[in-house]
Amino acid sequence: MEDLESILQKHSFLADLKPEHVKLIVGCAKNLRFRPGEFLAREGQKEACMYLIRRGTVAVETHAPNGETICIETLMPGDVLGISWVTPATAHFDCRARETVIAFSLDHDCLDRKMKEDAELGFAITSRLLDNTYQRLSRLRLQQLDVYR
Amino acid sequence: MPMRIGRAGHDIDGVFTWALEPPAPFAFEPGQFNMLYAHGVGEVPISISGDPNDFSTLHHTIRVVGNVTEALAALEAGDEVGVRGPFGSTWPLSEASGQDVLFVAGGLGLAPLRPAILSVLKRRSEFGQVTIIYGARSPTDILFRAELERWRGRFDVTLEAIVDHSGTDWYGPVGVVTRLVAEAEIDPEYCVAMLCGPEIMMRFTERELEQRGLEPSQIWVSLERSMKCGVGLCGHCQLGGTFVCKDGPVYRYDQVASKLLLRGL
Repeated sequence: MEDLESILQKHSFLADLKPEHVKLIVGCAKNLRFRPGEFLAREGQKEACMYLIRRGTVAVETHAPNGETICIETLMPGDVLGISWVTPATAHFDCRARETVIAFSLDHDCLDRKMKEDAELGFAITSRLLDNTYQRLSRLRLQQLDVYR
Repeated sequence: MPMRIGRAGHDIDGVFTWALEPPAPFAFEPGQFNMLYAHGVGEVPISISGDPNDFSTLHHTIRVVGNVTEALAALEAGDEVGVRGPFGSTWPLSEASGQDVLFVAGGLGLAPLRPAILSVLKRRSEFGQVTIIYGARSPTDILFRAELERWRGRFDVTLEAIVDHSGTDWYGPVGVVTRLVAEAEIDPEYCVAMLCGPEIMMRFTERELEQRGLEPSQIWVSLERSMKCGVGLCGHCQLGGTFVCKDGPVYRYDQVASKLLLRGL
């Protein structure tokens, strides 16, 4: 049976991270399961961790005044949910499991501490978050152009 | 030549498809277009969206965007329309033979790709893996939905659709089409990609494909420009040293890449 460390290392967000760094952050990680419809995060609530999605999809949603739910993006296996929650922050959107979702949660206090203790780990995680942020921003820019109108 | 409208059907909001009845067998190649003439109003270039193996029916899928298309939309089954064509270059089905084929369509861009998809599916054994990626604005804007669902049901085709935004009644992915391109199973050495949709979408998709290892020479796009004559004489559709009506609308990406980055061309 695979241990948490070896499964964690397989997640694309942590791909090529040095084994000693994976060892360092494994203590911050939990393997979680969310039922369909369950919320990983709610708009306006403080979030204490970020998630590395392993299986299932997560809808990033908001709602209109008439109660209509608007899905802005779906996150897939390999994605990171809560890029901005590496430091304590408030969720801007509801994040709902569309089917059974399996994800690692990374506690931000713990991760923050380890990143400060080991600058190389800090750089590796920050670089990945920056790359992820850029990709997300690039997609949202295209989405904002509303090219099919 | 005048053609009778056999069937006129509403597809999605502001988009309709005609099945025209040519007076004689009408042959065309996937990717080509016709000039459709609304009597007394004007003429517009419209891609052929039907099956190239069906010589007795000519399909056009039309979005209402101006005076001519408004006049065309007002016509009904039994009415006549003027047709000139077919014109233009074709999707590279011969080059793609023996290789994997990736179709990436956005919005109404599925219509000009449909003849190529139908041809590939008819000659399925000649090609490797066939992948269709389709992006639409919302679930209600998905063109040819029933047909997409049929294609998706085949064991020899991979089809993924994504919408820019949705409510809770859509179970597929939400986001931009490049998202699915990033996830697609592609063997960059043996792949021909055919893209059709808004030009911005095609540029973003091409960049994603390059990141996945494809060369611009493996990527083909269908372009739109204002056209008048359809035969490369009037110059309305000039793109650098080429005329989209005659040398296009289908181009290999490396032949037009630099021109697509110039504003105003």
